[in-house]
Amino acid sequence: MTAVLEVKDLHVSVGDNEILKGVSLTVRQGEVHALMGPNGSGKSTMAYAIAGHPHYQVTSGDILFNGQSILDLEPDERAKLGIFLAFQYPVAIPGVSFANFLRAAVSSVRGYKDRARAEVAQGGKREIGSELMPMREFRKELLAKMDRFNVDRSFAQRYLNDGFSGGEKKRGEVLQMAMLEPKIAILDESDSGLDIDALRVVADGINKLVADGMGALLITHYQRILNYVKPDKVSIFYKGRVVLTGGPELAHVLEEKGYGWVEKELAVEPA
Amino acid sequence: MTVTTLNTDTISPAAVTAIGERFREPTWLRQAREAAWETFTATPWPTYTEETWRRTRLTGFDLADFTLATEPVPAVSSRRQLPRKMSANLRKMDSGGALVFQDASLIYAELDPELAVRGVIFTDLRTALVEHEELVRTYLGAQVLAADNKFAALHYALWQNGTFLYVPRHVTVEKPFQVLIQLSPGKAAFHHSLIIAEENSELTIAEDYLGAARGMSDTVVELYPLAAARLHYLHLQNLDTTAWNFATMRSSVYRDALYRHLQASWGSRLSKVWIDLNLEEPGSHGELLGLYFPQGRQHIDHHTNQNHKRPRGTSDLLFKGALDDASRSVYQGIIRVWPHAQKTDAYQKNDNLLLSEQARADSIPGLEIQADDVRCTHGATSAKVQDEYVFYLMARGLSRKTAKRMIVSGFFEEVLNRVPVPGVRHKLEAEIARRVGLE
Repeated sequence: MTAVLEVKDLHVSVGDNEILKGVSLTVRQGEVHALMGPNGSGKSTMAYAIAGHPHYQVTSGDILFNGQSILDLEPDERAKLGIFLAFQYPVAIPGVSFANFLRAAVSSVRGYKDRARAEVAQGGKREIGSELMPMREFRKELLAKMDRFNVDRSFAQRYLNDGFSGGEKKRGEVLQMAMLEPKIAILDESDSGLDIDALRVVADGINKLVADGMGALLITHYQRILNYVKPDKVSIFYKGRVVLTGGPELAHVLEEKGYGWVEKELAVEPA
Repeated sequence: MTVTTLNTDTISPAAVTAIGERFREPTWLRQAREAAWETFTATPWPTYTEETWRRTRLTGFDLADFTLATEPVPAVSSRRQLPRKMSANLRKMDSGGALVFQDASLIYAELDPELAVRGVIFTDLRTALVEHEELVRTYLGAQVLAADNKFAALHYALWQNGTFLYVPRHVTVEKPFQVLIQLSPGKAAFHHSLIIAEENSELTIAEDYLGAARGMSDTVVELYPLAAARLHYLHLQNLDTTAWNFATMRSSVYRDALYRHLQASWGSRLSKVWIDLNLEEPGSHGELLGLYFPQGRQHIDHHTNQNHKRPRGTSDLLFKGALDDASRSVYQGIIRVWPHAQKTDAYQKNDNLLLSEQARADSIPGLEIQADDVRCTHGATSAKVQDEYVFYLMARGLSRKTAKRMIVSGFFEEVLNRVPVPGVRHKLEAEIARRVGLE
């Protein structure tokens, strides 16, 4: 079955401030949907709302994953369904190694933890480490994916995002995505602040995963990453709404005419 | 050793005399006890008007609630005869020697015979006093004085036993020594540790305090890393959460010597702990590490003093605490640089992680510098577990609990990866895991 993420007339507020004013869009497994919009238009808010950030209140509308609402699910439950958010600004967690963190995350998402708990509930013996993916297996897969996605092997022992450069953080997000194998990934400005080499690595990672069947909602401010990742659909996001959806050519029109064009041509109300 | 019992179990002048008599102590020691009792009675109880006690109150504390250990507990000759919990605890570490105390009685001792041949003395203070009286007399009470604080005075009046470790010149002991001090409910305990690393020797010792439900522990630890010695001391305070805990610990570090201290303050309802590092001679080094993780209504108070008396000394302090529920911590630390202590390099840092809205951490770092060519840095932080961190980890599939646990473990990692003994490190990790609700 092809997984589908649908956002339907979504309204989201932070405090008293309504930021999303009725967003609708769809992302399918295996396709790239680019979402372009100026700074402050609410793109990141939508990414956070889909992932379940508690500070973002959904006041109306719905988010469906394979037809089921996910609004009542905790962020970890959404991750287990196969939704991944690549953060624009991944936080640094000192003292937690990338490898240990990722092994715990992979084990949770792939159900090791739930299976071990179920066995104990049925009277089985609780074995140390049974909630985790076996170390050898994990290590083998991690090293293979580090090589495949051009991430230096030294990442494994470094503390999670601690002292990482901007480019390293984004590569780290791609590696996490590759290990967690989501069905749908939301990539929040994964191209921002990258030099051309880092951008290529990130774009190459997205392309490989999409070829493997992942769906991507590619949130970006610039058209630049779309030279490397070919979108199937492009939506223009403006002032808390999707104002126009079209094919890949729409990115070029936008690049040429700028966001001012959106306001004029599409008769979107000015702020 | 005499096996008569103590004829009084109350904290009183009669007990001071009774202890001297019971153990047929030499006159100098009996006099020291009497003098300490005088000091104790002459010293007023601390009040919150004193800076040292401003944030730690002894409400509910009453000496009349505790009794002294009067009956000797018979010793056993093998680990297997120990209570299972104790032998399991001993197994967690590969040690060169072990002592197990039940209150004031040494109930089990072992020492690698090879170390004994090399002149290492590892026994209880009672035995050392009989067999090595001059050594004990030289070092006992030379560092922590009865006059230091009211609890030190009480300690010197009433101590009955303790740890004695002596490593001779040029002897390096690689395996750690370990000591378990199990305290009975309702008792007042006064364990005294005397640890001497002679010139150019090296030793590591871990002391584990357990028990003392509704009781009190009033400890003094005196440490002597002599010239070019390396002394690693690990103090694991795992007392019951109903215990009152007072401890005064001091090290004098001599020429080119190194002293490393790890303080893990897990248990007790209230702890008041003084840790002093005296860099007595040029080129001496000290490292003080601390961990605490109070929960419920626990109150943990540490005082540290990095005392740079002579040139070219370095000291490095890092205390980290996570606080849950309605717990409190107090950290007061001072770096003192004396007038001639040029080229001093001193560092002091206290970080706190607040896991609940009701928890409170007070941190008062301080500097007192009387030399001009020095480098001193200090700082303190106090932060909540940020929602952004938890969200990031949850978005990767970790439960809220696992996410928090990971953040807290990561927070302590900076101290843990500096713990010199793997067995101790594992114990600390297990305790942290238990406290974050994993085990």
